[in-house]
Amino acid sequence: MSVAAETPSGGRRFAALARDALPYAGLAAVILLFSLSSEFFFNTRNFERLVTDSATLMLVAFGMTLVILLGEIDLSVGAVVALLAVILAQVMDAGVSWPVAVLAVLIIGFGIGLLNGAITVLGDIPSFIVTLGMMAVATGLSYVFTGSISVAIMNEPFLILFYDARFLGLPVPLWITGAAFTATLLFMIRSVPGRELFAVGANPAAARLSGVPVKRRKITVFAIMGALVAMAAVLSAARLGSGAPASAPALTLDAIAAVIIGGASLFGGRASLVRTLMGAALIAVLNNGMVLLNVNIDAQYIVKGVIILLAVVLERLASGARP
Amino acid sequence: MLLALSDITKRFPGVLALDGARFDLRAGEVHAFMGENGAGKSTLMKIASGLFAPDHGAISLDGEPVSFANPAEAKLAGIHTVFQELTVLPNRSVAENLLIGREPVRAGGLWLDRKAMIAEAQSILDRLGIDLDARVQAGGLSTGQRQMVEIARACAQSPKVLILDEPTSSLGRAEEELLFSLIAQLKAEEVGIVYITHRMSEVFALSDRITVLRDGRFILTGETKNLDRPALIRAMVGRDVAEDRHGLDIDALPVAMETQGLARDPAVRGVDLTLHAGEVLGVAGLMGSGRTELARLLAGIDQPTGGTMTLFGEDYRPHDIRAALGRGVAYVSEDRKGLGLILPLTIGDNIALPSLDRLAERGLIAPRRIRDFARDWMQRLGVKAKDSAVAVETLSGGNQQKVSLAKWLAIQPRVILLDEPTRGVDVGAKAEIYKLIRQIAADGAAVLAISSELPELIQISDRIAVVAHGRISGVVPAAEATEEGLLDLAFDEGTAA
Repeated sequence: MSVAAETPSGGRRFAALARDALPYAGLAAVILLFSLSSEFFFNTRNFERLVTDSATLMLVAFGMTLVILLGEIDLSVGAVVALLAVILAQVMDAGVSWPVAVLAVLIIGFGIGLLNGAITVLGDIPSFIVTLGMMAVATGLSYVFTGSISVAIMNEPFLILFYDARFLGLPVPLWITGAAFTATLLFMIRSVPGRELFAVGANPAAARLSGVPVKRRKITVFAIMGALVAMAAVLSAARLGSGAPASAPALTLDAIAAVIIGGASLFGGRASLVRTLMGAALIAVLNNGMVLLNVNIDAQYIVKGVIILLAVVLERLASGARP
Repeated sequence: MLLALSDITKRFPGVLALDGARFDLRAGEVHAFMGENGAGKSTLMKIASGLFAPDHGAISLDGEPVSFANPAEAKLAGIHTVFQELTVLPNRSVAENLLIGREPVRAGGLWLDRKAMIAEAQSILDRLGIDLDARVQAGGLSTGQRQMVEIARACAQSPKVLILDEPTSSLGRAEEELLFSLIAQLKAEEVGIVYITHRMSEVFALSDRITVLRDGRFILTGETKNLDRPALIRAMVGRDVAEDRHGLDIDALPVAMETQGLARDPAVRGVDLTLHAGEVLGVAGLMGSGRTELARLLAGIDQPTGGTMTLFGEDYRPHDIRAALGRGVAYVSEDRKGLGLILPLTIGDNIALPSLDRLAERGLIAPRRIRDFARDWMQRLGVKAKDSAVAVETLSGGNQQKVSLAKWLAIQPRVILLDEPTRGVDVGAKAEIYKLIRQIAADGAAVLAISSELPELIQISDRIAVVAHGRISGVVPAAEATEEGLLDLAFDEGTAA
């Protein structure tokens, strides 16, 4: 007897559709909402600011997409961005030229990612707990380094290049975001290790038996995450004009939210970078629009939280209960 | 009659596990329960012990009809079971494991009386003659010692019926002796004992009566003294066997893989095997004989503790599966859903997974290349699906198995190891897979095929090697093989330690 092919029920199919449409529909809805309710929202100037301000979130969300695709998580990103911004500010304050300082921060960020990955994989410890530890260490270091005060960045060329400058009429942070998006997308969809990530996330044991070097792939992804976090720290420091401990309190939540709104499975094996981009844009527009409308900053958490919960429930309904 | 199961039918999705099976047990007897892998022995005993409910049929205990909603009810009625899968909690002491659920308490159940618990557990162990300290953690015990804890736990609750599922498979010699004397003691106390085993010598040494099941159906029950080994083997086999056999002249074929004294403790204990390019070598063996462990050694998944391997005359010692794949050795797992395929991914992604490196140009892969590659292999193997973008989890078992074969054939292996290639596949798809396996060999690859189904092995193989107790107990040309002969070798105990 042939085992009947599994056809998803109508409800499941609808949930899948809703899950995949959520980032697009949500983005369109908040743009419409803010356009109607604020005269300052729908114009080129505001959009440019929005794009520049959200570059940090975008970079971190791209990395988080790869991490979540593996069924892992990185809770340290917000704290590491703050730490790297502090290091950047202090190093430049000590007279180091900006290219050297930026390069140093990129290397440190890559190293922190590598360490997160190595401890998770080689120690066989959940990344949840490893990165929670890294978060505490990074936060502590940023306070110790600064004595709990923010360090101003006086390096004009640095501030101009990574925030105000334009190239072919578009802000530099937008170019950086675009380059990171393209590179991550190419890696995910077109490269051998990238395609293997889908297999590793969905079923690591089967991936290993298929000849995929599962451990190496996982460590690589955490290292890529570290490099993206470092670039995000550079943009964040330039935007704030300083390096300050705890300067990115909502970043980790926002980045995970962007990936989840993008319909990724927290159990690994399914994620889409394009939908993450939409999810991150939705969060960025929410952040921007609620400021324009003078909504209490704390109330923003409630709105984001509800959207995350909706996305997660849709995801579970769409994948159905596994026997 | 102490326990009687009559006319029991049990259907699982896709299989009729029991079809009007019956079994009866007298007080004070040891009743051996036999049958090939998958004959339904364990299922029937799981019904007797309340783990499964039968779809149809009746159970009676002491002449009274009973039905058990769960294992606790069966235990309360006096039916205790020691299954192959051990249920000892590793983080608890032997005493806690022995008395779990009925620990001595103080102050109306608020306090555990640790002292009394250890004393009681120790006295149980001593009375049964088991040389164990009740205070040690169970996690530190050997498999055999844990098995004894399980057996002691069942004995301590004064059972009426004790079901032992392959109790000696993990026991050492001394523990075996102890178990046999325990069984004698329980027999004298009028306990009825069901003894499931693959070991003929134990059946004849211990049992009073024997029941044989085949394909979920009752075949015979008889007094042990009226039965002999050939009669039992005849009862266990009896399916249709193909008339047309294969049988290449292997002396004319180049040697692809050769092992000498290959071992991995404790499952594989010195295997000498020669596999030729262009032949299908069938591997038979009972569950737990070490056949899957052997395949995993050849595939580089596990590392041998002894012996040597060569591949086309060169030294072959893969340190992991990637090394084996690099040398052209592929392994198709018996666990298709868990280890063979990645169910949520598409057919294309599954087929291409081990071949991605070859599909990349300057480090990048065009999605079109994966699609074309997958489409080509789907066509060659006759995978029935709309296109390569369909998720594998939506396919039927037969189609999934074809995808799994396509995935490995696509790397163009020199040696392919197939573990249960037709498990969970319907009859029509089976015939297609048999044809494919012969085609793989005809194209020049060396094929090693493990199967629990003897008629299948006889049909697809050129030669059949039988594994028993971690060693090869015989290699038979398929043309001369009979089910009886193969099963006789599978039950071989000449090689047992």
